[in-house]
Amino acid sequence: MKSIDLKDILYKVEKPARYIGNEINSAKKNLDEVNVRFGFAFPDVYEVGMSHLGMHILYHILNAEKDVYCERIFAPWVDMEEEMRKNNVPLFTLETHSPVKELDFFSFTLQYELSYTNILNMIELGNVPIRSKDRTEEDPFVVAGGPCAYNPEPLAEVIDFFMLGEGEEQIVQVMNLYKEWKKQGKSRNEFLEMVCEIKGIYVPSFYDVKYNEDNTIKSFEPKKDSYPRRITKAIVDDLDSVNYPDSVMVPNIDIVHNRAMVEIFRGCIRGCRFCQAGVIYRPVRERSLEKVEKIAEDLLKSSGFEELSLASLSTSDYSKIEDLVNILVGKYSGERIGLSLPSLRLDKFPIEVIEEIQKVRKTGLTFAPEAGTQRLRDVINKGITEEDLTKTVKEAFELGWTTVKLYFMIGLPTETYEDLDGIADLANKVVDIYYSIPKEKRGRGLKVTVSTSCFVPKPFTPFQWYEQDYRDEFIEKQNYLKSKLKNRNIKYNYHESKTSFLEAVVARGDRRVGETIIKAWELGCTFDGWGEKFKYDKWLEALESTNVDPHFYANRKREYTEVLPWDFVNVGVTKDFLQRENERALSEKITPNCRMSCAACGITDDFIGGDCKCVR
Amino acid sequence: MCKIRIRFKKNGYMIFTSHLDLMRIIERTLRRARVPISFSQGFNPHAKMSFATALALGVSSDGEYMDIELDEKVDLDNLAKRISKELPEGIEIIQYKYIDKKAKSLMSIIKYSSYVINLKLEKKISEEELRGNIEEFLKEDEIIIEKYSKKKNKTRKVDIKPMIKSIELVNIDDENVLLKALLAAGSEQNIKPEAVMEKMFEKMDFFNKEYVRVHRLELYALNKKDKMVTPLDDSIA
Ligand code: SF4
Repeated sequence: MKSIDLKDILYKVEKPARYIGNEINSAKKNLDEVNVRFGFAFPDVYEVGMSHLGMHILYHILNAEKDVYCERIFAPWVDMEEEMRKNNVPLFTLETHSPVKELDFFSFTLQYELSYTNILNMIELGNVPIRSKDRTEEDPFVVAGGPCAYNPEPLAEVIDFFMLGEGEEQIVQVMNLYKEWKKQGKSRNEFLEMVCEIKGIYVPSFYDVKYNEDNTIKSFEPKKDSYPRRITKAIVDDLDSVNYPDSVMVPNIDIVHNRAMVEIFRGCIRGCRFCQAGVIYRPVRERSLEKVEKIAEDLLKSSGFEELSLASLSTSDYSKIEDLVNILVGKYSGERIGLSLPSLRLDKFPIEVIEEIQKVRKTGLTFAPEAGTQRLRDVINKGITEEDLTKTVKEAFELGWTTVKLYFMIGLPTETYEDLDGIADLANKVVDIYYSIPKEKRGRGLKVTVSTSCFVPKPFTPFQWYEQDYRDEFIEKQNYLKSKLKNRNIKYNYHESKTSFLEAVVARGDRRVGETIIKAWELGCTFDGWGEKFKYDKWLEALESTNVDPHFYANRKREYTEVLPWDFVNVGVTKDFLQRENERALSEKITPNCRMSCAACGITDDFIGGDCKCVR
Repeated sequence: MCKIRIRFKKNGYMIFTSHLDLMRIIERTLRRARVPISFSQGFNPHAKMSFATALALGVSSDGEYMDIELDEKVDLDNLAKRISKELPEGIEIIQYKYIDKKAKSLMSIIKYSSYVINLKLEKKISEEELRGNIEEFLKEDEIIIEKYSKKKNKTRKVDIKPMIKSIELVNIDDENVLLKALLAAGSEQNIKPEAVMEKMFEKMDFFNKEYVRVHRLELYALNKKDKMVTPLDDSIA
């Protein structure tokens, strides 16, 4: 093995330090003493991938195994790709600059549907065949995990096997099995036969899908009786007992989240009906206060980061959030270490603590009411009331904040133009509140930003059966809001409906959509999530030439009886529950959060035995 | 409160980090090494450290300098050892000492920088011929470059002749040329070796214009006797 000398091409690209590795706390191992080489690939640029907490956790866990070496791989930006192709440089790992083809595993994390063409591009840049059926004993196993893997079907042709669920324990099991297999000198296929017995492992080539004449799925069947009929996600029982990084890589260049991150809990008690994360990460499991404190201390000491952030969904639902914040601020403000928190109820903290937090929060206050009226917020089960919002905004203005961001979704089920009016009304109310505060008490230069994204129905949510709005409906709604948000203090941003449309196609896609993705990549699509790089016309061309009707996937209402492409995955939450929640949505009934009362989502049936930990 | 001046190297892949990146890297290194660094007062406190000049992306150096302020006086050798242990591979401390608290800032005292410049030949050329070419280039009355100012969105013409103290030929073979140059650096006058080479290439067609590799050897200040000395020299620091 010879590592690749990148120096000469690095002089020709933008931000060359993306490709150098060599970060403090990155893993250095002697390749002769390593038995399994694992490549953790993030299908986006360094700055995005390095900001992803899950990668740091699995990197740490794999490298804690003495004879396993986990190295990182990111997508080269277009300029680097061009140089690599020109100079015959294959895709390489950051740690040792070795070609990915030398690895045992080439593993992708699926965080976003529009990163799939990057995956194909990276596989090809690594000189590995795109389709799993074309790979030989010379090639690494191309595997994938992460939230989008819960509907693995669009990548069924590409990925050798998927790892569904939480990886901390599962990935070590896979590594141990691999070492066993390697010793026995068995074939590639025999490994797949072995690995599919591990919980959460899905080998797509072991299953047959048949379709009805109307293009819906007729059946999904294992090719042998010995293959599992349902794939059940892997889950970590107790966060305190699983290995969490005590040291974390310190990037040499600025990245999106350039700070130490501690995950304080997993799951979410809220049950918003559009939210996939709120379902797939169930049930809520908290890390103890003591453990969080200890991790924070270790991470800060070993990294030298000047900022710490607490990571989770809906952070303020951590049961001891006030204690935690007070402890951390008390401990670290003297060392000039800032605490960054995504969302917080301000009324619970003393002013000194808020001021400390404020120092870090340069971006202002953010709120995500998601819908403009209480009626629609009840439909989506978003437990924010107008009073919550106005009260917090008022306090924040009194404390000197002047920037407020409001996030909404358009195209939600049952939405009418009254709900859009509600968005404008809320924004105007925020402006009024600001001006109701005496001049000398408020900060100067109010800026209210209203952002709307286009609703994308996702698998494993109560809205998984819904049709997405057509693009012209989205555009009409955006124009309507534009005309209603004309206040000079308000800025209106909206997401392009093109990308949301495609996201909807891929998110609920089946194996046939996989052909379209491959075609789109062949036509030159990469970095689809990067606005200016998105080639919508190429995608339309790919859809047409692979005979895939995007509206069938994005804009069609499904019946409850339809076999959905992801039905074989058991995320713990039952389809029954999702259906019930959808019915409640239609009758505008909210479902109380898991801490108030259990809604019997089913997670306890197969997983944490009988006594859900959300309820205390 | 006291002040330390440190000379350090930047090489290997670390040359591809920018000046801004480097400042962050150093601050985090100092934090890991538990250096009792002073912070500025005010709403957004920052670590009190200052650098001599910004090094361009891709340039290696044996002559980088920084000053850091400490809250308390500590044993320097021990401190340097701790910092060295925490620095990423490619950045290395070479020299350090306490300097006067009121010493002038590095940025204001630096006047010159010396470089080694590695070039590639596209056509063969003899040593004498190249020497002659360089001499001729240095004999010109003025060497004008266009400088773009982002602020004014205008380019203006600057004569860089006075900023070139010397360019010497160190070595030449069939493919490579090694030059040594002494150029103005610092807050008053500053010229990058890449810009000088660009002008030189206009006069000499035998070089590969794409290939300029620069290594900084040392930075110089002027002492009271107008003698060129390093920022760590006793006659200034
Ligand atoms: S079992 Fe009950 S409390 Fe636990 S996640 Fe499901 S609904 Fe919430």
